[in-house]
Amino acid sequence: MTRRGTAAGEAHRLLPRPLLVIITLFLCALVLVPVLYILLASLNTDIGVAEGQFWPSTFSGSSYTRIWTTADLAGGIGNSLVVCGLVAVASALLGTVTAYVLVRYSFLGRLTILRGLVGLQSIPGTLMLLPVFVLFASAGNYLGITVIGTRWGLFVAYLTFALPFSTWVMVTYLRGLPRELEEAARTEGASTLVILFRIIVPLSLPAIVVSGIFAFLLGWNDVLFASVLTRPETHTAAVALQVFGATQEGGALPVYSQMMAAALICAAPVVVLYLIFQRYLVGGLTAGGVK
Amino acid sequence: MSVRTRRAVLALAGATLLTTALAACGDDGSGGDGAKTLNVLIGANTQYPAEQQAWMTSIADTFKTQTGATVKWETFASANDELTKIQTSVVSGIGPDVYAIGTTFTPTAYSTKAFVTLSDEDWTKIGGREKFIPASLGISGPDQQNQVGIPWVGRPFVMAYNTELLKAAGIAKPATTWDELTRQAKQLTKPGQYGLAVAYKDNYDPWKFIWGMASQAGDPIVEGRTARITDPAVKKAYQTYFGWLTTDKVVDPAAIGWTNSQGIAEFAKGRTGYFALTSATAANTLEAGAIKGKWAFALLPTVPPGATSRPANGVEAASILSGDNLVVADYSKSKDLAFQFVKLITDEPAQLEMYKTFGVLPQNAVAARTLSADPKLGPILEAQSKSVATPFTGAWADIQLALTNAVVQSIPDLAKGPVPDAQIDSRLAAAQQTAQSSLDRAK
Amino acid sequence: MIDDRTATREAPGGSAATQAAGRGPAARRRRGVTQQQRPLWLLAPGGILMTLVILLPLLLAGYLALIDLDQYTLRRWLRAPFIGLGNFTEAFQTGLLHSIWISLSFAVISTALTVPLGLAAALVTQNAYRGRGWVRAIFLIPYVLPSFVVATVWRTMLQPDGIINALLAKVGVAGGLWLSGPKSYWTLIVVEIWAAWPFIYLMALAGLQSVDGEVHEASAIDGANWWPKLRHVILPYLRGPVLLACLLATLSHINNFTLPFVLFGAPAPDDVNVLPMVVYVTSFQGLRFGLSAAMAIVSLLLIAVPLFAYLRALRLDVHDDGGRR
Repeated sequence: MTRRGTAAGEAHRLLPRPLLVIITLFLCALVLVPVLYILLASLNTDIGVAEGQFWPSTFSGSSYTRIWTTADLAGGIGNSLVVCGLVAVASALLGTVTAYVLVRYSFLGRLTILRGLVGLQSIPGTLMLLPVFVLFASAGNYLGITVIGTRWGLFVAYLTFALPFSTWVMVTYLRGLPRELEEAARTEGASTLVILFRIIVPLSLPAIVVSGIFAFLLGWNDVLFASVLTRPETHTAAVALQVFGATQEGGALPVYSQMMAAALICAAPVVVLYLIFQRYLVGGLTAGGVK
Repeated sequence: MSVRTRRAVLALAGATLLTTALAACGDDGSGGDGAKTLNVLIGANTQYPAEQQAWMTSIADTFKTQTGATVKWETFASANDELTKIQTSVVSGIGPDVYAIGTTFTPTAYSTKAFVTLSDEDWTKIGGREKFIPASLGISGPDQQNQVGIPWVGRPFVMAYNTELLKAAGIAKPATTWDELTRQAKQLTKPGQYGLAVAYKDNYDPWKFIWGMASQAGDPIVEGRTARITDPAVKKAYQTYFGWLTTDKVVDPAAIGWTNSQGIAEFAKGRTGYFALTSATAANTLEAGAIKGKWAFALLPTVPPGATSRPANGVEAASILSGDNLVVADYSKSKDLAFQFVKLITDEPAQLEMYKTFGVLPQNAVAARTLSADPKLGPILEAQSKSVATPFTGAWADIQLALTNAVVQSIPDLAKGPVPDAQIDSRLAAAQQTAQSSLDRAK
Repeated sequence: MIDDRTATREAPGGSAATQAAGRGPAARRRRGVTQQQRPLWLLAPGGILMTLVILLPLLLAGYLALIDLDQYTLRRWLRAPFIGLGNFTEAFQTGLLHSIWISLSFAVISTALTVPLGLAAALVTQNAYRGRGWVRAIFLIPYVLPSFVVATVWRTMLQPDGIINALLAKVGVAGGLWLSGPKSYWTLIVVEIWAAWPFIYLMALAGLQSVDGEVHEASAIDGANWWPKLRHVILPYLRGPVLLACLLATLSHINNFTLPFVLFGAPAPDDVNVLPMVVYVTSFQGLRFGLSAAMAIVSLLLIAVPLFAYLRALRLDVHDDGGRR
């Protein structure tokens, strides 16, 4: 996986080193300057942030302790991690399965489904909010299945919203996978499921990681659906964060400093997860597989 | 590869386990079979979060002792959040039993017909109408027979001024008319100092000025089912409001980008004479700034611009009737419990407790009388007593938006100089049209 | 590097149904797509979920657009009066087309400008070096930060007396108003780009992984310099993922509500009155649900047309043989 310093490594180099350094530094600066502002603001006082200070006139780390009581941030992060984690896994796998059928087989309506999946991506959340709520509420009212306020309900909603995208990512990726491996497996009598889990999944791990990340983030940052589909016990991090952003009509300042601190704390788990999983974003798994 | 696959399978198994565990403990449902529960929705208090938690627990305990029922609290982060919650609840019939809603929002809530119109019997269960400050009932409903809102807390609007700067400029007491305010602000404006701080880009402030000035001049904005936005009183209000920045030049030019929070932060630096629109909840912020100890609240002017005394049909509107009302959902299955709960938190002890903890004014008459002895509260209490209700119509939300929109679209003009009359006229005409069509749709 | 391991480790004897009965070489050689033994049942879980949770509510939303649903009729919405296309005609009269135009142009421009950033980021993190993991994680941050935090931060920085104008003043440029007036449109684009470029980056990164090692070696042997190699060999691999990313990114820009809402507030200045804002203000502040549903559906239809044209033009949905580029 690592190709450092060897002649083969040089061959794999995509950009000359100086250019690489310049671009990397530029992009890092682009990202980090506002993030630095967020960090500094979290160490500033509310009134300092409201004044628009970049460098705090007084440093205070109290926000980092206060955020845990101002809103149920710990519970929110916990709920988010659980729900979004499951959504990521489920969406990536279900997307792979669906994509596999759509890519490898032809049947009536295949194109319609593919196009339809993209079409589903273009539906705005605000349009769906009331109808989805009504649907879930009806399940509770008429079928006796409580959906509103459970983590389950949120999981189902997020999974469904993430599915079209995950499927399409896998479709794009799977299209490029050489068939020979699968065909070899089939001649040995492997079932579809076995092929899926023993060949396809391992080979398409980069795409699975990517679609998992997106599915995770979709749930992590969603506020609209989380705010109506959850109760205080099942609040996600995004909903808890809203409390910090609250603006009262005339008078009290929003707790800017805590909002910034909470935002960083909420971003941290995702970044950590990414740090862990990004090692799967490497190639070479299909390299010369069948030559 | 096998390691990876195995890991994947294990992960999946683990996920399934987690999920089933979730289903077991996450399933909350809408409350008790057996013990009764009451779901209550109030605004999250970010200023005093720990105190709010403590208060909620103590109220819940008291209620349990009184009635044996559990209180399940829910908080919303912002008015928009609450609005969304109300909509989903009204549509589905599932949601909180008691809501705390802003006063200006009560007419809209009323128009959904989803909240209990309080009968005399209901009022008795709550403790009687007499329990409350008479003025606070002004926005409970369109008339006495059709009230949905029970006054809970008051947050009247006032202005804040810098006592030191006013003294240095030889101003004995804060202005009582808008013209006087402009005059004083001019006196207070010198290099490095401004007379007035106004938050032009705030989403909630601008319309309050317009409404106040117009009402004082005799135009309540809505009369019956007619919008009166293209009235000279409204135009004068906008001209005055914009004029502070463009012609009188008593406001910092950067104010066109300020929300209320930035305005107050600016005022707290101690170099501005007046801060035009704020409430008692700003006290903490002001004490945290450079202006600590050198500020005070004052009543907003009650004489319209361009006049030295209020015209005969003008209203002494020192503030909009602002605060929270409690409403009981019509779909609630525990209405009696709800009324008992409302009684609890509108009785004198709870009301005084809330004042002590959060700084919000009680709407309970007895509690309010107790506080009137406190000198610091002078202007605030006066503002509450001189609060006037905004028109009670389901179209008010749209009208508010239309009035604010006229300001929002004028901001680029403000940056360049005085807003031409023609522009103001055309924007007011557009606002009039929106407002009127909303009123026409009102059922 | 022959990856025999997978090929030789297959468990023999899967389900009897998938025995290679009747599958002659002829079937295999047909355009790479098989007709027999189609495990279409695998589509069921995803299909059921999407039908239940997306299509049904969508139909409901369609119904909502045809009735007079507002705060007055919300409670008994099933009995709200049916007004057919009334909402739709009203939608067109309220400047909907203007909003759609703003949204579309903003989305397309934002996507176009994020592509170079995302591609560059993917290219520079492709080759391993110490600390690459950290750089990759840093690149992800704008996408991970919640939208409203990003918007609040930028709004504070772009105030008339904020640091952006302060810095510009140092260089002698008058900043002016960024959050109102004509410049607000470009402000929205810049902030959206800042927040959204990691999306293209991630997709491009995934795409880069499918480049065979042999391809690199072959071009090294050919003596290709980095730019021609990049242009003619590597970038074609990224065509699929990046074009798909562009499509999805554009859609997500069009529907992005939180960013403009927190950045500019509601009501928004005319120049940035994007579609989601209009829909949100109409339904959640004006409480006119029927009208806003109609607006959303109109925009959906208007966007669907170029969407499918794009798909067809790029043949993203047409099947091509595995392995062929």
